[in-house]
Amino acid sequence: MRNIYLIISREYLERVRKKSFIIVTLLMPILMIAMMVAPSLMMLYSKSEQKQVVVIDRSGVVADNLYESAEATFIREDGMSKSEACNIYNEESGIFGILYIGEVVDARDSVQLITNSSSSMLLEESISSQIEAIVEREKLKEYNIENLDEILAKIETNIELATFVNNGATEDDGEMESTSTGVSYILGIVLGMLLYMIIILYGQMVLTSVVEEKASRVIDVMVTSCTPFQLMMGKIIGIAAVALTQIAIWALLVLSASKFVMPMLFTSDIASAGGALLDGALGTVTDTGYIATLFAYLALFILGGFLLYASLYAASGSAVDSIQDSQQYNTVIMLPIFLSMIIMMTVFNDPNSPIAFWCSMIPFTSPIVMIARIPFGIPTWEIVTSLVILYLTFIAMTYLAAKIFRVGIFMHGKRTSWRELWLWLKE
Amino acid sequence: MDAILKIENVSKSYTGHKALNDVSLEVPRGAVYGLLGPNGAGKTTLIRVITRITLADSGRVLLDGKPLTAKDVFHIGYMPEERGLYKNMRVGEQAIFFARLKGLGGKEAEQRLRGWFERLNISDWWERKVEDLSKGMAQKVQFIATVVHEPKLLIFDEPFSGFDPINANLLKEEILALRDRGATVIFSTHNMASVEEICDHITLINKAQNILSGSVDEIRRAAGGNNFEVLYRATDEEFIAALGGMAVPISESRGMVGGFVQSRIHIPKDEDVKLVIAALNESCGLRSLNEVIPSMNDIFIRAVNGSI
Repeated sequence: MRNIYLIISREYLERVRKKSFIIVTLLMPILMIAMMVAPSLMMLYSKSEQKQVVVIDRSGVVADNLYESAEATFIREDGMSKSEACNIYNEESGIFGILYIGEVVDARDSVQLITNSSSSMLLEESISSQIEAIVEREKLKEYNIENLDEILAKIETNIELATFVNNGATEDDGEMESTSTGVSYILGIVLGMLLYMIIILYGQMVLTSVVEEKASRVIDVMVTSCTPFQLMMGKIIGIAAVALTQIAIWALLVLSASKFVMPMLFTSDIASAGGALLDGALGTVTDTGYIATLFAYLALFILGGFLLYASLYAASGSAVDSIQDSQQYNTVIMLPIFLSMIIMMTVFNDPNSPIAFWCSMIPFTSPIVMIARIPFGIPTWEIVTSLVILYLTFIAMTYLAAKIFRVGIFMHGKRTSWRELWLWLKE
Repeated sequence: MDAILKIENVSKSYTGHKALNDVSLEVPRGAVYGLLGPNGAGKTTLIRVITRITLADSGRVLLDGKPLTAKDVFHIGYMPEERGLYKNMRVGEQAIFFARLKGLGGKEAEQRLRGWFERLNISDWWERKVEDLSKGMAQKVQFIATVVHEPKLLIFDEPFSGFDPINANLLKEEILALRDRGATVIFSTHNMASVEEICDHITLINKAQNILSGSVDEIRRAAGGNNFEVLYRATDEEFIAALGGMAVPISESRGMVGGFVQSRIHIPKDEDVKLVIAALNESCGLRSLNEVIPSMNDIFIRAVNGSI
């Protein structure tokens, strides 16, 4: 134990003291926030300017009812022919394009948009939905319904689904737990990605560490001072401790953000104005206890997943002489991780589908798949079972990996014979 | 002989070639034991079998009469030929790490290491990073890390390679000092000068086999073959007459040195050297008679070429 402890602390300190560790630890949350904010910022700034569209309406119904939208304004030129308009309103005119509407609007190729530059999805969407609404209305008018506008206004409906977990409480005592699939979805993706990144990042750190130790020949001194098992476990746990340190710092940053920053951002006025959907979302994001539980599970699955994969990485690192050679093993180890990522995507459609359930029990995919399911509210027994299987597999895997490690670390230059391999396995 | 380490009929093959072929040897307690042999003879493989980095295909390794276990190895001090230190660590920190791994307490480790650093004149490297050290410098650090826990058995693979003569001497003195404090030292080398200076016993390995084993004095004497070099003033006839069948001159080795005839003779083991001296002294004006003891270098070359 003393030796394992010594190796753990050496591996840990060597990494934690590095400048790169400190920089990455502090930069990562900023990067992640940037990644979350970036899409909405992009939406904001990529909003295109209003475009001028010339309308030639042969049907006589559409043009009158077109209204100016964020995407387009309309100029009527009913008197012109298509070719005339195309000549006059060319690229130099500053006009975006010409909207031609034939006599029968819903006939094939009756509505045409001829543009001077490339068209945009948003604009096309806006124009076609306007025309659709106009034509539908015209068709309704043919049925001669009285007070049509009034009736239409009355029947317009907008449903917001407020979701709750059935926890035995009733609405009266106010204990019902509101949930939000939207938030669960985002949380699931974020947690799954986080786990994926951590397994790959730190798992490969184990591999690199073993390969470097072999290449620099420190390994000869090490194995005449401690057992290969101690060396392997020391490395794995040491690097796991680095990972946990980093996650703990990140968790602390996120937790304090959810405790202080989120409530400040989403004051109660906004919450009440936002309706049920936003309410559920806010309930999830600002519930510190919920986030703490999530992080606890996350830590357990990260640790288990990391330990499992790290022993694989350690074994494969021991079997090669250089980082380049390790790539092929690396690919094989990455396969179940990639598979987990794909299955994770199906989890969002149905967190309780058989494939989601079984893949969150099979240890090689369970960390990522299960952590993605947890935000949707999974029975505790499932989580516990998954964890138990994961950790049992880790122990079995470590035993096997230690054997491979023992043989692998000395396969340097000279090829080890099968006979020697057998001798070591018997030891 | 009280042997600390016994190697019995050890063989080891790698795919396609035999690295050790039925090698046996005994290392006396408290000796400085040299493993000699040309490159690729199997010295390093033998050392790796002793340190259990490689397993022998057959044969046994006994430490203090008992089969060597993994635990025993952890108490041996071993310096591999290809030195390895963690590049990113500071020198002092790293030395402490290895010392503690070998069982020393943190404080004691630092105390002893500071002493060693002082002795080898490298105290000011304590805070430096290993990657900034030259090869020789790193080797000194590695040497200290190997011996700091004062193991009773020390194994060095090519300890002098990479050292300048001054540092090589420093290292020799330290190795002898460790021997004097009770350690048994095994080292491999093809530097014959160092063998004559510090080894008590040697084993010469060539082509995976032990071809010569024993104490350095005995081996050299035996290799000398009871040949003597004599300086005298006399004619050949007088000289032959004086030898009178007790000794045979080795004809091709005649020469003149400072007015004396220099000649080599062979005195068979059953003849008394004193009688030869007396006879030569009386009739040939004997100036000196010395046993010809070949250098380890000669022995090495002759042994490897198969003429011993």
